[in-house]
Amino acid sequence: MDATTPAVRLDGVSKQFGDSYAVHHLDLDIDAGHFFSLLGPSGCGKTTSLRMIGGFTDPTEGSVVLSGEDVTGRPPNRRNVNTVFQSYALFDHLSVTDNVGFGLKRKGVAKAEIRQRVGEMLELVQLDGLADRRPRTLSGGQRQRVALARALVNRPAVLLLDEPLAALDLKLRRQMQVELKQIQREVGITFVFVTHDQDEALTMSDRIAVMNEGRIEQCGTPEDIYEHPASRFVASFMGTSNLMSGTYRDGEVALEQGPALPVGTRSGISDGTAVSVSVRPEKIWLSDFEPGMSKLRGQLRETVYSGPTTTYLIELAPGVTLSVLEQNTDRARMEDRWSGGETVEFGWRPEHCLVLA
Amino acid sequence: MTMVKLPAATAPARPAATSRTRRGRADRKPRILIAVTALFFALLYLPIAVVALYSFNSKKSLTVFGGFSLRWYRAFAHDDVIIASLGTSLRISLVATAGSVVLGVALALGLVRCRTRLGSLAGLVMLVPLITPEIVTGVASMLLFKGLGIALSTGTVMLAEITFSISYVTVILRSRVAALNPEVEEAAMDLGATRWQAVRLVTLPALLPAVLASAVLIFALVFDDFVLAYFTTGVDPQPLSVRIYSAIRFGVQPTINAVGTLMLAGSIALIALALFIPRLFGRRGGLDILSGE
Amino acid sequence: MALLRHSSRTRKDTSGNRMWVWLMLPGTLWMTGFLIASLALVAVLAVGTTDELGNPRFGFDLSGVRALADPAYTEVLARSLGYALLTCAICLLIAYPVAYTIALHGGRYKNALIAAIVVPFFANYLVRMYGWSVVLSDDGPVLRALRAIGLADSNTKILNTGVGVVAGLVYGFVVFMIIPLYAALERLDVSLVEAGRDLYGGPFRTFFFVTLPATRQGAAAGLVLVFLPAMGDFVSAQLMGGPDQIMIGNLIQDKFFQGQNWPLGSALTMLLMLVLLVGMFGYLRRTRKDEAEVRR
Repeated sequence: MDATTPAVRLDGVSKQFGDSYAVHHLDLDIDAGHFFSLLGPSGCGKTTSLRMIGGFTDPTEGSVVLSGEDVTGRPPNRRNVNTVFQSYALFDHLSVTDNVGFGLKRKGVAKAEIRQRVGEMLELVQLDGLADRRPRTLSGGQRQRVALARALVNRPAVLLLDEPLAALDLKLRRQMQVELKQIQREVGITFVFVTHDQDEALTMSDRIAVMNEGRIEQCGTPEDIYEHPASRFVASFMGTSNLMSGTYRDGEVALEQGPALPVGTRSGISDGTAVSVSVRPEKIWLSDFEPGMSKLRGQLRETVYSGPTTTYLIELAPGVTLSVLEQNTDRARMEDRWSGGETVEFGWRPEHCLVLA
Repeated sequence: MTMVKLPAATAPARPAATSRTRRGRADRKPRILIAVTALFFALLYLPIAVVALYSFNSKKSLTVFGGFSLRWYRAFAHDDVIIASLGTSLRISLVATAGSVVLGVALALGLVRCRTRLGSLAGLVMLVPLITPEIVTGVASMLLFKGLGIALSTGTVMLAEITFSISYVTVILRSRVAALNPEVEEAAMDLGATRWQAVRLVTLPALLPAVLASAVLIFALVFDDFVLAYFTTGVDPQPLSVRIYSAIRFGVQPTINAVGTLMLAGSIALIALALFIPRLFGRRGGLDILSGE
Repeated sequence: MALLRHSSRTRKDTSGNRMWVWLMLPGTLWMTGFLIASLALVAVLAVGTTDELGNPRFGFDLSGVRALADPAYTEVLARSLGYALLTCAICLLIAYPVAYTIALHGGRYKNALIAAIVVPFFANYLVRMYGWSVVLSDDGPVLRALRAIGLADSNTKILNTGVGVVAGLVYGFVVFMIIPLYAALERLDVSLVEAGRDLYGGPFRTFFFVTLPATRQGAAAGLVLVFLPAMGDFVSAQLMGGPDQIMIGNLIQDKFFQGQNWPLGSALTMLLMLVLLVGMFGYLRRTRKDEAEVRR
């Protein structure tokens, strides 16, 4: 296997349940050593895809290739991948040590080596003090670490993680996100991470595939996905995106209601095409404009203070409200400059205005 | 019974009652209901108490207590026929428990996991013994053995008891299997176990408390069973409950009080143990063992 | 392509299921073989004959079935039905207040109290019935107590009467009524009762409009669970009743052990099964109707 062989390749993979497709003709390469996220709403097929890589579900069409080897139809115990399950799926009748050592024991690794590797792994996930405890007596976060250690200790080519942080509370989840990323860098194993949480995917991933209704909508780096969503779905799924519908003509998009937005000439979009326009809230400026910005006027409707940032809702036209995000820096905050109902001027750089066909 | 004291302890004037005004009158203890319940408990335990009490009677009477004595227990210990019957019953219970637990656990696993037509058919067959009165199963079993030319013996009782105990084991375990997280089995396979190893190393240990509880329960039920044993037993030595049946049909024998007391104590202990076993494993124990829900 | 896809799916399904099928097979085969063969034999023998040694012989002889029409047998069947139904009714009357009290007023002793009912009920049936017959005997504590408060005189008997038989059946099987009722009452949402109080006011109206309908399925299950064993019982009639109170179970037992008339015994067994199947069918139809109503 050379360096360019993907760790996971899905080749025209489909999974049908009855007449409906859970996964539809999926083509996907996941590079070795990457932290790769499958992101999408529930029911988009991300878990089914993961299960097909793990061998828990067989595809109805296409093939699953791991490190250049076709493993379609092979049971999970004969694939060099391991899984961290959403429910953790720990063995309650075994101690933490025996849970983590389960896979090595199955492989017939010598006892002394098992003990050593399990010890190292428990240290890596900071569970060394709890080796003799039963999973039932551990907290959610600790159980999550046991599940991670139990999978990683086998040094799989690929680690599959099925929403492993979903059951944790927000603070612990943030902490685990950072730790998980650190561990992944340390062990250098390919992680395939399934999540419905876009923040999580953006924070942790090298690459993200956004899935919807059994298909991949877009695959790219977190920045790609966030800054240059390829479709209306991706734009709206990834954070707030101020989507507005209209018709493109001569470098302008005429909104269904309200004014025409200058968007510049876009190649590949012909006049009269129905498009969506999207501008991220943090890309909208409220003062100190630069030359060349698109400037518009609207009425300030609502101010939502949330600590480091404040969100302003500005009505551009009846039924078209944009959300604008400002850092709460030292300079004068907007409500000191304007009060609710007042007309304000705002603008953005043309390159931050996305036109989605 | 302590129940009888409850109405007095919850007189409406108590401040505790007013502090729970949200539930209002629903919390007032209905004296009549409590009296009925207390009477029920009294009548439930009276026969058991009478048997136990008169097993220690120094007289042969069942109505006059002449003083404390262990003579009937001594008589029981020296009654070779009854001791032989006890041995037979124990052997039957052990074999029937082992057989029905093995078959029943496997059946429960298959029924829950296997979604084929065979599965639903097996689910139906399994229910038949539960809704058939014992006399019918007894007659049917006896006819089957006679029809096959098998002489009735301790062995035929074992076979019949296994058949009708499988259902109980399956009913008890089915809900437990269904409540297991299927991801745990997948995790075992993910870590290199074959499908069968996953069942052996992960599923069965997880079911162990319920399996043990059902085994204890089946042991007690088979040991106590009389109708099926009565129809399928050979001449000698008959199971203990068949022996007791013959004895109580033909007049009073105080030895039976002693044997009966021991049997009641034994099965009450076993059934209480069956209810308690899940707690030993740190799980919620309870009556669902008996009702299968 | 479509064909290929289909075949690959079937392969998957069987490989995933094969082990479960193998696990299920021994128990299923054992039970199916034993149950179907034995019940079929009862049916066949109901129209069969017996040789001089008492061994069953197959044939086609309707004398056993025809004998069922004999008034002596129809009377026993009618009595069995009457006793079993009476037992059901009494069990319901006893079990409801007991289950209700424990479920709604048992507090933290709920589980202990139910266990205290269930545990002895699963203990040796014969010994319990024997003890019960002692309690109900002419010099037993129940009659003595009744005499003391003037509800009975020296001639009043319970044993060797129909009252005794029904009392035996009730004692034997009332737990089968308590368990489903208790389960239903325990599930009963307290807020439902409170809502009932708001809507209907008094505790009695609440009980009839809220509590009772919510526990109807539990009661129906209990009725079936009591009816089945009560209808087939022969111990109670033997210990508590006299020769005038025999039930169908006693007849069957007699035909197989004393009378050695196996075809007639088999015919009686089939008759018993028929009655029970009718009861079960009625129950199933009833619950299905209830479920349909709930869905609507």
